[in-house]
Amino acid sequence: MSTRKTINRFAVIGGLCTAVALAATGCGAGGPSSTGSAASSTVNVLVEAGGHAELTGVAEQCKKDTGVTANFVELPYDGMFNRLSSEFSSGNVSFDVAALDSVWLPSFKDAVQPIDELFTDEAKKDIFPALVKEANVDGHFIGMPAWTNAEIILYRKDLFDDPKNKADFKAKYGYELAAPTTWKQYQEISAFFTKDGMYGTDVKGAVETEWLAHVLQAGSPMVLDADGKVVVDNAAHKEALDFYTSLVKSAPSGAAQVDWAAAQNLFNQGKTAMTRFWAHAYRQIPKDSPVAGKVGAAPMIGGSAGVAGVPGPWYLSVPKATKNTEAAKKFVKCAYDHNSMGIESSLGLAARISAFEKYQDKTGYESFKPLIETLSGKATQTRPATAKWQQIVDTVLIPTLQKAVAGGDSAALLADAKKQIEALLK
Amino acid sequence: MRVAERTRPDAGKAAAVTAGSSVPSTTHEGGRKRRGVNREGLEAGRRSTRTILWILLAAAMVLYGFPFLYLLFTSFKTPIDTIAVPPTVLPKEWTLENYVNALGRSGVVASFINSIQTAIISTLLSLVLAIPAAYGITRYKTPSGRVFIMAALVTRMVPPVAIGIPLASMMASVGMADTPIALSIAHTTISLPLSIWLMSSFFEAVPRDLEEAATVDGCSRLGALWRVVIPVVSGGIAVTAIFAFLASWNEFLFALLMTAIRSQTTPVVIANFQTQFGLDWGSMTALAAVYSIPVILLTLLLQRKIVAGMTLGAVKG
Repeated sequence: MSTRKTINRFAVIGGLCTAVALAATGCGAGGPSSTGSAASSTVNVLVEAGGHAELTGVAEQCKKDTGVTANFVELPYDGMFNRLSSEFSSGNVSFDVAALDSVWLPSFKDAVQPIDELFTDEAKKDIFPALVKEANVDGHFIGMPAWTNAEIILYRKDLFDDPKNKADFKAKYGYELAAPTTWKQYQEISAFFTKDGMYGTDVKGAVETEWLAHVLQAGSPMVLDADGKVVVDNAAHKEALDFYTSLVKSAPSGAAQVDWAAAQNLFNQGKTAMTRFWAHAYRQIPKDSPVAGKVGAAPMIGGSAGVAGVPGPWYLSVPKATKNTEAAKKFVKCAYDHNSMGIESSLGLAARISAFEKYQDKTGYESFKPLIETLSGKATQTRPATAKWQQIVDTVLIPTLQKAVAGGDSAALLADAKKQIEALLK
Repeated sequence: MRVAERTRPDAGKAAAVTAGSSVPSTTHEGGRKRRGVNREGLEAGRRSTRTILWILLAAAMVLYGFPFLYLLFTSFKTPIDTIAVPPTVLPKEWTLENYVNALGRSGVVASFINSIQTAIISTLLSLVLAIPAAYGITRYKTPSGRVFIMAALVTRMVPPVAIGIPLASMMASVGMADTPIALSIAHTTISLPLSIWLMSSFFEAVPRDLEEAATVDGCSRLGALWRVVIPVVSGGIAVTAIFAFLASWNEFLFALLMTAIRSQTTPVVIANFQTQFGLDWGSMTALAAVYSIPVILLTLLLQRKIVAGMTLGAVKG
């Protein structure tokens, strides 16, 4: 009897567990299935959490225009590459459209479909040249720009407009205090504002993009030339690195560890008078920040090759493994058509020149003119198209930069970096 | 009985009292004084030891509790306060705005339900598999059992990402992608090995005499396990269940790789506040604070069982 009761109890518990498990198999609380097998008018869009807002309004419009409904799969940036690699390598994807960071395009070029038909002559004219070039991998366009960014100069307008500062600066340097346009001006203005617990600028040792923008301004391609040869030790790289490290004395201590978040915090807290930062940050200054309403925007500074920045675009791509190609392409085209809607989102960016131009004279969008100018700069270039780029950045460029801002010998560091990059690319 | 005696909390104290009473009494004044002085000295020594212990305990509590308190305080800060340089512990101005933002974000409620669902299924799976496995290993003590228990740990020696990516592909190929059960199975690979080890140590602590007595009273082996052994190790089961629940509740990597729209859990949603374009500290900490409430409640609810389980695991019959 006891055995029977025991077995009955186990059977009940086992049955319950099975019931819960079976119920769970089909009943996630998040919404519809993400793995629809048949073609439908619903597309799953994989997007980095920060970019989700950019596409929300667009998705609503696309539903009205084309009947395509978009479900968003939102993931943190740090995990997205792993997820994409995992799904692309398995050939079984849970999404029909993916928003890809530009640096990932070379890695996933074989897993996404060409979308050449969307790159009409008219479209190519309305997209920044560097982005048109980057979207074309091995002769095919594989991603439609959804939004783009670039570093510009953000500065404390209140400090720059202060009559005493103006007079003192002119007396010391012999020219008017204004937003810097050259390396020399940036150095001098930074030095001028470094006093009384305040710093002229930040120096970001934990991110490489800014130094690479200076490399472009000095007239060299970044790290690799057009033939894929490693040029990280050339004169332009050294000149840019020396300029970068020269600013350490006008920046808060601990430069080697300063990344985007730290630099943004310093500026928003009113600790730095200027920062070279992504344009979206202009619209994201907290309302209760001591610098809110006191910030001006200017194009990125120029070197011997003129103004240049490193664009930070995201592209919408359609995986080869999707069974919903038609609806996916419809959504990508629609997102391009309504690209300017992204500007109304919390991130406030777009990819089309016309979209930025539409807003550039409106209050609150003062960062757009400098952004357009920076992205249109003759020396502006996207990152080298190599699948090893992220590895080069993480294992060579950032450590090199950190050693340099800590006082290392730039020539020796760059020579060493060259050897390491060559070894990585072998 | 021996177990009960050993585990009596006041056993040490009683022994001390007994030892005290066994000291031969004396009428000698000097002896009394000396004894008095000795007692005072002993008492003072105990007091200072206790004080030191309390200080150490307080320090350990601060050490462990401070990060959570800091997270909690940050969740009540204004946006600019969260990024203050240098940082402040207490908010300058208290606000609930972060909670409104975090809980108002689309998908948060669904992710909570998914987390609960996944953690419960994973915990049940771990217990249903670990209890018989651990019981069999400890009671039959076969060489294959010893190999099995060592082999069970192998999955813990492999980097999770090495398991996660193929597991995600497998789940997708059998049509289980983006489901709580798929994620629960993945989480069970984390919690099962240690659940087996934990349950083994608890079963080891149960004297075989108890089962033999139950068998003499007419219970089958299974009946003895169900009626006698499992009630005795219920504290251990609670500890194992909490461990398995927490392993699933806080797991991030598998959730990142295996969930999308239907079954995304809250750790992924919390991580979504850190984007390429900035970090929303306030909302992130607010959601993390809310997410920790069920675990705190569960731990408080099972506190007595946990303590009993720890004691049970500490002694062997």
